Amino acid sequence: MAEQKRPRQDTMSSGERMGAILMRQRPDRIPFMPFIFGYCARNVGYPIGAVYNDPEKSFWAQMWTAEMFGYDGGAMYAYASMGGWEFGGEIKMPQSEWEQAPTVARFPAQTPEAVDALEIPDVATAGCYPIALKFNKIQQQFGMPIMVMAFGCFTPAGNIAEVDVLCRWMMKRPEVAHKLLRKCTDFSKKVVDYYVEHFPNYPMMGFTGEASAANQIISPKQFEEFVLPYQKEIHAHILQSGIRNIFCHICGEQNLNLKYWAQMEYGDPGILSFGHEVDLTKAIEVFGDKHAIAGNIEPQVIQNGSNQQVYELCKAAIEKAKMAPSGYLLMAGCEVPVQAPPYNIYVMKKAVMEHGFYD
Amino acid sequence: MDRVGGICKDKMAPHERVGALMMGQTPDRVPFNPFAMGFAALNCGYTVESFYNDPQKSLEAQLRTAEQYGYEPVLLLGYAAYGGWEFGGEVKMPTSIWEGAPSVARPPVESEEDLEKLELPDVKTAGIIPISMEFSKLCDQMGLPILPGTSVDAITVASNVTDVSRFCRWMMKKPELAHHMLRLATDHILEAYQYWVDTFGAQKIMAGFYVTVAANQVISPKQFEEFVLPYQYELQEKILAMGVQAAFMHICGEQNLNLPLIQQLPLGSPRQPVILSFGHEVDLETAAKMFPDNIIAGNVEPQVIQNGTPREVYDLTRIAIEKGKKAPGGFFLMPGCELPPMAPGYNVYTMMKAVNDFGFYN
Amino acid sequence: MATEARKKEIFEALYDGVVAFDEDKVVEYSKLVLDEDVDAYEAIMDGLAAGMEHVGELYANQEYFVPEVLMCSDALYAGLDMLRPHVSGKEARVKGQVVIGTVEGDVHDIGKNLVKMMFDVAGFTVHDLGRDVKLERFVEEQLKTDSEIVALSALMTTSMLAMPKVIEMIKARNPNALIMVGGAPISQEVADNYGADGYAKNASNAVQEAIQMISRLREMGKA
Repeated sequence: MAEQKRPRQDTMSSGERMGAILMRQRPDRIPFMPFIFGYCARNVGYPIGAVYNDPEKSFWAQMWTAEMFGYDGGAMYAYASMGGWEFGGEIKMPQSEWEQAPTVARFPAQTPEAVDALEIPDVATAGCYPIALKFNKIQQQFGMPIMVMAFGCFTPAGNIAEVDVLCRWMMKRPEVAHKLLRKCTDFSKKVVDYYVEHFPNYPMMGFTGEASAANQIISPKQFEEFVLPYQKEIHAHILQSGIRNIFCHICGEQNLNLKYWAQMEYGDPGILSFGHEVDLTKAIEVFGDKHAIAGNIEPQVIQNGSNQQVYELCKAAIEKAKMAPSGYLLMAGCEVPVQAPPYNIYVMKKAVMEHGFYD
Repeated sequence: MDRVGGICKDKMAPHERVGALMMGQTPDRVPFNPFAMGFAALNCGYTVESFYNDPQKSLEAQLRTAEQYGYEPVLLLGYAAYGGWEFGGEVKMPTSIWEGAPSVARPPVESEEDLEKLELPDVKTAGIIPISMEFSKLCDQMGLPILPGTSVDAITVASNVTDVSRFCRWMMKKPELAHHMLRLATDHILEAYQYWVDTFGAQKIMAGFYVTVAANQVISPKQFEEFVLPYQYELQEKILAMGVQAAFMHICGEQNLNLPLIQQLPLGSPRQPVILSFGHEVDLETAAKMFPDNIIAGNVEPQVIQNGTPREVYDLTRIAIEKGKKAPGGFFLMPGCELPPMAPGYNVYTMMKAVNDFGFYN
Repeated sequence: MATEARKKEIFEALYDGVVAFDEDKVVEYSKLVLDEDVDAYEAIMDGLAAGMEHVGELYANQEYFVPEVLMCSDALYAGLDMLRPHVSGKEARVKGQVVIGTVEGDVHDIGKNLVKMMFDVAGFTVHDLGRDVKLERFVEEQLKTDSEIVALSALMTTSMLAMPKVIEMIKARNPNALIMVGGAPISQEVADNYGADGYAKNASNAVQEAIQMISRLREMGKA
């Protein structure tokens, strides 16, 4: 491969490196946090669904894979289709070779009446949360920080009603959309409260994301009305509860929404991750003074690209973002595809080890 | 290519480690090669098929996978079903997820009459040979050892040309036909090796000997003695006499009853070492005892690497290392046969962990 | 019989109704089409379809987003459902047949539904298999309907890997079938690597691409 530097050796542990970012100190090198779930199951010989329905297998698959590739960030429990199952619908776990994450099999509220009747569930028994909590307990046994999956507003609402139903309500029955978003927001706050109560004084970070709020689906004006107030409320609640930092996955084409994301709080600092659609320079310009930036290697390229292409993409991202004032983490723009060639993950780490050190 | 990170606290580079082993010296640690073929292709985003029909991709996949895991690369483009295609039959390249290597789609000999008409193929154009030669040239350009893709044995070639069931029947009912086929197979392998020696010079070549079909899952030791030993003796004697730098002999499968016969084969010398690799069916202590002058390799069970838990793989690897390290001729950790293409990556990494934990020599 | 000027007025109203997602207006003017004996096919193509084409441009320029496009499609179908029964046999010449679906493992279908609608409006007969469609189903449906085109959609990087498999399966049974691929992770390069015959960058482009594909097929005398 062209323009290679010799790889260097770490002088910090992974925990020290991530801790440095959160204390606004410079780590030895850029952390590498690929954002990787179902892939880990495949890597250790488990069925993909195990990452989502078996807390112990999920934990070890992620920890072993992190060990094998030498990346940072440990393990977390999360998936994009949250909402449907938690509010009483049905989930389908990934089974075939073409599926990488759970999907909503039955949406629980597709009419205004159903939204009215929707009750805020009990966190301990809602959908994936019993599994997530068991996963978190295992993390606690090993003294690892916990990522609180804080549910969210718009994306879960889309998973409760189905995205195009929600979109139609936004246009024709905005009050129904708002009602549903309110319920999602209230549940998010309940989740945060539950974690604070059941993991008192434990190192935690809030995790939020809004994939469906991307401009591939809604306009910035719709974001302003249907996402911003709720997301702001959730973030504020997380920080008021005592959780100091938020990791926010700003997924997809979000360029027109950045000015709204900039109005939210993320802690001191937060970590904001971006997809390939948002240029890292732009992300740093808007958020970089206050928050660490993560991203933004295109998942499709990690899966289908040549080893060289992946390396060059990572090298370019590192060179662009390495000096971000509040820090930078190399990450995929969204979840690493299950079928990504392992060598491409190795190459991402290689790019960090060859170009990611701070001298 | 510099390796990134890695768990082994190596004090030698891979070629130094293997070199020390081959010269009868103690390396820093047990060398390890997982015999990764289709696995390496998939690891780098290539198809299993491309491992066998694209020399550039095959080489890249093998080198990059070795770099990623930190094991010693042994570069080869060859396949166990060798012979059918080379003698004029049809090969099927692996295309579905259930296929790990090329297979014989139509054997060239389906009757006695076919055998009568069978001629030696042109080694320069037969079957996989042009592809394997291209691969060897790429290795040569990089200064790497060359393993000819025609690294097989007479009975395996014979079985692939005629179909193993037919060959077995001939061994029983028409042994003269079996011998005729074995003669052709032996002559072909020798011609192919000469082609490699003429192209690169013998000193650059590491020969590969195999006795795959000769395993006791297929034939008896008595049949080994009649139908394998004389031809294998001739092959190994003549190929070693060409002046190759070393050889690797893969004694695949259940071969315990054949071991006394294998002892009678030309098995190299300190100046021309022959590495003997064994499947999980042959205990490494037995192998070391029966072949004290040879480097022993093996023998972690491939099925366990594919289907077992990391703990199981780690334990099996530890056991192999502990046994193999005692081999007076030296030891090279390997699976018992080709690494299954769909083996979980973490299990291969786990083998490397076991090397790191148990494989260093004080 | 309406004058040319009156027809133009009606078509513009239909166009505006679709673009402004004003279902009532579209219904009102569709009724006028029938009452004033305006050619229904012309009204569909020059009014409704033209409006939807402009909606496609607005979406591509990020002036319209999915909610708006869904509204526009509701308005479009309100008119289409009224006018289509009145299209004469000659005019209803089908441009071609399309089997369309989101591949197995993928449940995202907003984009696919938009493409389906564009094909519908453009005069194709569309066989919509829905989402999470088993690979064999695409083959079966293509053979059953003898559709010229099979359009595959995928949003996920995992499910996109099913596309080359489907292409191979279809071509093995019917080498003349044309395959178009589209979805967020797909690009022209990916489409070429997969052996697809066409690539739909967006909903409007899908129809143009399909028309060109079928023309090529007919030129080769295979249709």
